[in-house]
Amino acid sequence: MSSWLDYTINGLIVGNVYALVAVGLALIFGVSRLINFAQGSIYLVGAYIGWVAVVQLHTPLPLTIIVVAAAAALVGLVIERFGLRPLQNSVRIAPLLATIGISFVLDQLVMLTFSPNPRALPSQLPDVRFQVGGGTIGPLDLLIAGVGLTSALLLFVFLRYSKLGWAVRAASQDRDAAMQMGVDVNRVNQAVFGIAAALGGVSGMLVGMYYNQIDTAMSLQATLKGVVAEVVGGAGNVPGAVIGSLLLGLVESYGVAVFGTSYRNLFAFLLLVVVLVLRPNGLFASARQAPPEPLTGTFIAPSRPLRIPRWALLAAAAIFALLPLLPVSFYVLQTLINAWLLGMLALSLTLVAGTIGQVSLGHAALLAIGAYTSALLSLSAAVPVGLAIIAGGLMSAALGTILISPSFRLRGHYVSIATLAIGEIVSLVILNWESVTRGPIGISGIPPLSLFGYDLVSPASIYWFSFAVMVALALLQARLLGSHLGRSFRAIRDDDIAARAYGLSLNRYKSLAFIFGGFAAGVSGGIAAHLYSYINHETFNTQQSILALTVVILGGLGNVVGAVVGSVALVGLPELFRIAAEYRILIYGIVLLLLVRFRPQGLLGTI
Amino acid sequence: MTTPEPLLALSGINTFYGQAQVHFDLSVTVGRGHIVCLLGGNASGKSTTMKIILGLVKPRSGDVTFDGASLLGLTTPQIVRRGIASVPEARRLFADMSVRENILMGAFVRNDRDAVAQDLDKMLTLFPKLGQRLSQRAGSLSGGEQQMVAMARALMSRPRMIVMDEPTMGLSPLYVDRVLELIRTINLDGVSVFMVEQNASLALEIAHEAYVLQTGRIVLSGPARALKDDPRVRDAYLGGSEAA
Ligand SMILES: Nc1ncnc2c1ncn2[C@@H]1O[C@H](COP(=O)(O)OP(=O)(O)O)[C@@H](O)[C@H]1O
Ligand SMILES: [Mg+2]
Repeated sequence: MSSWLDYTINGLIVGNVYALVAVGLALIFGVSRLINFAQGSIYLVGAYIGWVAVVQLHTPLPLTIIVVAAAAALVGLVIERFGLRPLQNSVRIAPLLATIGISFVLDQLVMLTFSPNPRALPSQLPDVRFQVGGGTIGPLDLLIAGVGLTSALLLFVFLRYSKLGWAVRAASQDRDAAMQMGVDVNRVNQAVFGIAAALGGVSGMLVGMYYNQIDTAMSLQATLKGVVAEVVGGAGNVPGAVIGSLLLGLVESYGVAVFGTSYRNLFAFLLLVVVLVLRPNGLFASARQAPPEPLTGTFIAPSRPLRIPRWALLAAAAIFALLPLLPVSFYVLQTLINAWLLGMLALSLTLVAGTIGQVSLGHAALLAIGAYTSALLSLSAAVPVGLAIIAGGLMSAALGTILISPSFRLRGHYVSIATLAIGEIVSLVILNWESVTRGPIGISGIPPLSLFGYDLVSPASIYWFSFAVMVALALLQARLLGSHLGRSFRAIRDDDIAARAYGLSLNRYKSLAFIFGGFAAGVSGGIAAHLYSYINHETFNTQQSILALTVVILGGLGNVVGAVVGSVALVGLPELFRIAAEYRILIYGIVLLLLVRFRPQGLLGTI
Repeated sequence: MTTPEPLLALSGINTFYGQAQVHFDLSVTVGRGHIVCLLGGNASGKSTTMKIILGLVKPRSGDVTFDGASLLGLTTPQIVRRGIASVPEARRLFADMSVRENILMGAFVRNDRDAVAQDLDKMLTLFPKLGQRLSQRAGSLSGGEQQMVAMARALMSRPRMIVMDEPTMGLSPLYVDRVLELIRTINLDGVSVFMVEQNASLALEIAHEAYVLQTGRIVLSGPARALKDDPRVRDAYLGGSEAA
C-alpha cells in the first residue's frame, strides 16, 4: 500500500521525464510552429543507445548520459538538416508529415536492429530507498530530478545569456523580424533540434532505467505524452511545458492511485482534449496573446489532378471484378481484399483530410468502433452480419462525429493532435470497458461474413463483397464531391475564414464530412471484424491510421480514385516483391518521406 | 550639381505572389545620404518592396543592388550584414523580450561587445524615454514607445541604410512629429533612409526624393519638393488618405 506522498513523488518524477520531452517540443514549436512527431522516436533511440552503452560497453553512469545526449543530438541534427530543411518552402502540412515519416523510419530501424522484444536497462545505481515523510525515494528518483533541474538550469542560461539563445527566443517570437536582425534561422533550427533531441534521448534512457525495461512501443507513447504536456503548458511556451509536464505526471499518478494502472493514459489524453477544447493556447496563455496558429492557409499542395477517362476506370473495375474468375491464387485475392478494406478507410480519410482539410491521425479508431459494434451485435444480439456491418458504419459515423465535434474549432496541427488523442482514447476505453468490450481479452468467435443468410466463405465471394462495397462507397463519394457540398468542403479547407464569411457553417460541413467518412471507415472495420473472427483493442492501431494517411497522400489528397490506387499500391507492391512484414512499416515511412519531399500532390494529384 | 552614385537600386522588378503580380517593372534608387520615400495607397505593393530589399521575398525578374553589388542571391541575414537595417511594418518587436534585449537584438550581427554597450547608451540619449523602460516587456509599451524601440533596434547594427515601413502609422500626432524628427537626425548622421508611407504630406516634409506607387507601378517620381506641389499628388494623397 503506497502512500499519497509516494504517488506525489512518482507523479513529479514521471512529470520530470515528460518535461525533458515536452521542453524540446516547445522549443521546436516556438521556432518552427511545428509539432515534432519524431520526438518520441528520438527518446526511443536514446533509450537504446543507453542500453548499448550500459550493457555492452559498460560505461559509467555520467559517461552514459553524455553519450546518449550527444548521440541523440546528432540524430536531431540529421533530422533537421535532411528531413525538414528541404521542406522550408513547401506546403505547411509537409513538415508535419515528414516528422511522422521520420518517426516510423526511426522506430522501425530500432526494431530491426534490436528486435521488438523488451530489454532490461539497469540503472547501475544502488537499490536502496530513503524514508521521506510518509513516502520513500530512491537514488534513481534523485537522479531524474537532478537531470531535470540541471537541464532546466542549462537551458535557462543558454536562452538568457548566449547569443544563440537570444536568437532562439527572438526567432520564436517573430521569425521574420529575427531574420531582419541578422539571425540565421537555419542555425536556430539546428540548435533547437539538437537540444530537443539531446533532452529527449536522455529522457528515454532515464525512463528505461526507471522501469528497468525498454521496448519499441515507448516511442509513440512518449510523443503523445510530450505533446499533451506541451499543449497543456501552451504550445511553444518552454516554462509552460515544464509545468504542464509536472501537472500531467501528477494527474496520471493520482489517477492510477484511484482507478488503476490501465487508466494512466486515459487521463493523459482526456486532459489533452479538455485543454485543447477549452484553452487551446494552454493553461497559462494570457488573454491578450494571439493564438499560435500553426499551419493555416494553404495546407494542402494545390495541383491539377490527373483526369482519368471514364472508360479506363470502367475497364479497370471490370478487370478487378472478373479477377476471381481467372486462375489467380488465393494469395492474390487475399491481398486485394486487404486493399479493398484499406481502400474504404482511405476513402474516408481522403475526404476528411484531403477534401475538408482535417488531417486526422486517429482514423483507425473509426475502424475499431465499426468492428466492435458489428462484432458485438452479431454475437450478442444475433443481428444478421450484413445488418450488423451497416450498424457498425452508422455507429462509427455517429460516435466518431460526436467525439471529434468539440475539436471542430481547432485548425491545422491541432486537429491532428486532437484526432490522435481521440483515437487513443477510443482504444483505451475499449481496453477498460470490460463489461461491454471484454477488455484486454478481446472478442473471439465473431461469425463469418454472410449476406441474406448465405455465409461468404470462399475467397472469391469475400473478394466480390468487399470490392462491391468499396466501389459503392467510392461512387457515392465521387458524386458527393462533384456536388455543391463538395465545393463547400473545399472552400472550408482552403480558407475557413472566408468560407465562414460567405455564410458556410463550418461545424455543419465538418460534421457531414465526418459522418460520411465515419460510415465508410466503420463499414471497413465491420467487415474486417467478421473476416478476422478475433479483434482486440490493438487490432486497429495508430500504424493503420498512418498507413491510411500515406495511402491518401500517395493517391493525392481528396482524390477518390487516388485513395483506391494508393491502397492497391501500398498493400499490393510489398506483397508483389515479397517484402518481409517487418520491413513494410519502414517502407511506408520512407514512401511517406519521399512523397512529402518530391511529390506532395501524390500520384494522381490533389483535388 | 551631380546626384551621388546610388547606394541602393531596384531595377526592372517584377514580383508575383502565386499568379498575382504585385510589381510591374519597378525601378527605384536611393542616393547615398538621402531620404527617399515611397508613397502609395493600401495594397499598392509598398511593403512588398521592403521585403524585396530585405530578401524576404524574391522578385521574378529585375535586380536589387546595394553599393554596386547584387543582393538577389543573398539571404536576409546576409543582406543585414551588408549594412541594411529595418523598421518593419507594425514594428514587430520581440514582445516577450525586454526593451533592453530588443535593442540589443539589433546588434546581433556585431561582435564588438564594448562598442555595442556604448551604442546602447547613445540610444538612450537619442531616445531618453526608453531609459526607464529598459527592463519592461517590449509588448507592454505604447505604440509610440514601441516605434522608438524599433528605431533604436535598427540603429544598433550601425547600418549604412535603414528601410522603414510606415513608421508613423497608428501613432499619436506628438509621436509622428518626434519620429520624423528622429529620421532626420539619423539621416544627418550619414545613414540613408528608404521609407514607405501612406502619409504623403508628412513624408514629403523630410524626404529628398519620392516615388509614387500605384497598384505596383511607379506613376510619379522626383524631388520631394516638386512632388509636394504636384497637383496629382495633392489630389491622390494629400487630400484623401490622411485618415490614419
Ligand atoms: N504573402 C502574400 N501572399 C499573397 N499576397 C500578398 C502577400 N503579401 C501581400 N500580398 C498582396 O500583395 C499586394 C501588395 O501588398 P503590400 O505590398 O503589403 O501592399 P502595401 O504595403 O502597399 O499595403 C496586396 O494586394 C496584398 O494583398
Ligand atoms: Mg504595407
